[in-house]
Amino acid sequence: MDVSQYLEIFIEEAKEHLQNLNEHILVLEKDPENIDTINEIFRAAHSLKGMAGTMGYKKMQQLTHDMENVFSEIRNGKMKASSELVDVVFKGLDALESYLANIQTDGTEGDQDCEDIINSLTKILNEGLGISVIDNEAGKTGSGDQTVKAASQTDAGEKFRTLKIEEHEKKAIAKAISLNLNVVGLTIYIQEYCVLKGARAFMINRTLEEHGEIIKLDPSAQDLEDEKYDFDYSAFVITKKTPEELKSYVMSVSEVKDVVAGYIQLSESELSNYLTAIKQEEMGEAAPKTASDSSSLKVGSAAPAKQPVKPIANRSVRVDIEKLDVLMNLVSELIIAKNSLVSSSSSLHSQLDAGFYDQIEYLERVTTNLHESVMKVRMVPIENVVNRFPRMIRDLSKSLNKQMELYMTGEDTELDRTVIDEIGDPLMHLLRNSADHGLESSEERIRQGKNPVGAIYLDAYQDGNNVVIEVRDDGAGINIDKIKKKAIERGTISEEQASRMTDKDFIDLLFLPSFSTSETVTDVSGRGVGLDVVKTKIEALGGDIEAKAIMGKGSNFIIRLPLTLAIIQALMVNISTEKYALPLGNIQTVENIKTKEIKKVSGKEVLNLRGDVIPIVRLGEILECPKGEETDELLIVVMKKGERYAGMVVDELIGQQEIVIKSIGKYIKNHKIISGATILGNGEVALILDVNSLI
Amino acid sequence: MTELNTKQYISVRLGNDLYAIEIKYIENIIVMQNITRVPKAQSYFLGVINLRGEVIPVMSLKGRLGLDKDEFTSTTRIIIVKPERSAAPVGIIVDEVNEVIDLGDDDVDMLNYDDKDVKASFSLGIGKLGNDLINILDVPELIGKDG
Repeated sequence: MDVSQYLEIFIEEAKEHLQNLNEHILVLEKDPENIDTINEIFRAAHSLKGMAGTMGYKKMQQLTHDMENVFSEIRNGKMKASSELVDVVFKGLDALESYLANIQTDGTEGDQDCEDIINSLTKILNEGLGISVIDNEAGKTGSGDQTVKAASQTDAGEKFRTLKIEEHEKKAIAKAISLNLNVVGLTIYIQEYCVLKGARAFMINRTLEEHGEIIKLDPSAQDLEDEKYDFDYSAFVITKKTPEELKSYVMSVSEVKDVVAGYIQLSESELSNYLTAIKQEEMGEAAPKTASDSSSLKVGSAAPAKQPVKPIANRSVRVDIEKLDVLMNLVSELIIAKNSLVSSSSSLHSQLDAGFYDQIEYLERVTTNLHESVMKVRMVPIENVVNRFPRMIRDLSKSLNKQMELYMTGEDTELDRTVIDEIGDPLMHLLRNSADHGLESSEERIRQGKNPVGAIYLDAYQDGNNVVIEVRDDGAGINIDKIKKKAIERGTISEEQASRMTDKDFIDLLFLPSFSTSETVTDVSGRGVGLDVVKTKIEALGGDIEAKAIMGKGSNFIIRLPLTLAIIQALMVNISTEKYALPLGNIQTVENIKTKEIKKVSGKEVLNLRGDVIPIVRLGEILECPKGEETDELLIVVMKKGERYAGMVVDELIGQQEIVIKSIGKYIKNHKIISGATILGNGEVALILDVNSLI
Repeated sequence: MTELNTKQYISVRLGNDLYAIEIKYIENIIVMQNITRVPKAQSYFLGVINLRGEVIPVMSLKGRLGLDKDEFTSTTRIIIVKPERSAAPVGIIVDEVNEVIDLGDDDVDMLNYDDKDVKASFSLGIGKLGNDLINILDVPELIGKDG
């Protein structure tokens, strides 16, 4: 066994701490006096240091240690969080992040050095204090702990004396005593803020094993590793060392608050009993059962170890995302099985009694709820992605030399984990775009009578079956004329086409591959691999992006993402002889319309539906279905995408159904009108129409 | 130049011609299924089928090779192949599946480079099986490139 099994936890938690530090240092920069923030920073840095130390990552430990020193001085009010200081600290955090990334890939810190950062930290520390630096071993064993140690030195701390010693352990003790070895009982108290208790216990036990043999652990070694203990545990060790020596070894392990140690002895009678038993065993005879079960130990008081009170803190488990995927797949299978049960039961409805249908309905309810619950488990607040953005905007603000501020709302909006993992880059791209191209320089903004500090907004919210993320800025907006000029220059569109295009059509050009309007290529953006990549990525997630802009007022990019990728409610329809699924979330109404009510406007069919003119989409034609007969009446499913509507002509409604989305693979080209396929109750495959590409 | 070893193939019939598919690509051979048409797909892709809960695209080998239209009979089979071990499976429709054959490298006349510009053949070479000639199909080429 080694510490590597804790690596995953370490990486996860270290990331959390780093993120925490990033956020709070940003706050600190704005509000240097905020004592809560400083305390939080200090705590996070300290935990990080401890964890890195435990895992043996010396460089991380060293760097966090030096950062912690600086925080400690700020906390003590001896220094102020100046902008330079924050810069250096951020550099330090970046270095830590790169160490962590390295650890994640190959388990080592890598050989990158951060001497310069440590030096600047020390320099700041020296300057800030105005005196030679005091080696500030903050936190290891603070003076506060010293008193605790003194207080717990009493018998009250000797929890090991209350432990029940098992028969075979007594035997081992007796044998050890006969060999003139010491049997030492220890109760080890761990600091309450210790984050990797399991690993810590392992370290301590390894230290003990260097000097002797552990014969008993309470709780058991397994429980200790699994962190199933509060903040203390007891051990019996057979050793040549004295209790005091052992104690000092254990105390040298960090995050140990206190250790109580003493000799363990057996009563004379018991000792001799066991010694004879051992002797007899050595002679090859079974030991006679003695009455030792009832006999008392000198140290063993009868009271059983008191049930530790479990902290009612966070009752959550970390689950591997792959396990959730498996669970989701099983739920999908179950729903397919349920659908086939429903369809086969409906074909023999005359023979079955009503009770059967009740059961089927019950099954449907359960599977739907099950699906929802599994989906909820997979949902992660978008916060996990966006919380790194304030820091990014701060850095951009410095590197672009523009003043800007990021305002975020709806960070608690939840999305499927797979979407969350993918959405970070596109969002980052849009924010960089806003910062670089969207916002004007401060001078320019003042000239236009705007607030010199540019504002970027990131809003997330749920809208029906979709999650919408908007990236807005109050900058210059999108220059339509510039796009027009460029598009014609590049031959993307002709002059004649341009004359017929609306502003919106021009903005949509931005999403074409290699179309960047920025005249200067900066480090931040403008390399022409921009919005088209964003669009591709979002479409791959089943989503959709659109842009709006008002010249001089700012631009707005709206991303619409599906809540879930796996199972949706759909309306099954017949188009000609084929079955298709329409996502229910996009459906507005279903209308019966007389064919003659459909009018043609500039070659396109439209319908005036209660005052709104909506385009009509003949699905049969688009999907190249065999032509049916023209009828007087048309069945129209009105579908919605954002603020746009369209009426889809279908031949027959089959009904609402929960469907499992399956990919049709990448070999078949389908011009994006098909977003996937699903397996129906009878085993047939039906295709799911992608509304985003149809409207 | 080439190592002398024997590979196993499955020989299939299309019309009157024989073709061979190397066995390492083959996942499964199934009887004809209900195929759901996919609109706007390449003409040789007939659609998708449900194979034990997986949706798998199916192509007509005849369509792919530019031969006559398929006629589905009781001997028609769908061969499920994977161009690579980790790739998604694809179904290939053939008129009949005959047998497993062994062909050594010296039984196969490799097409040299010049012949290969007739891409439509998707052929790796011609194998000799008794008196019959058998066209060895290049499976990754068949599936991978969108024609």
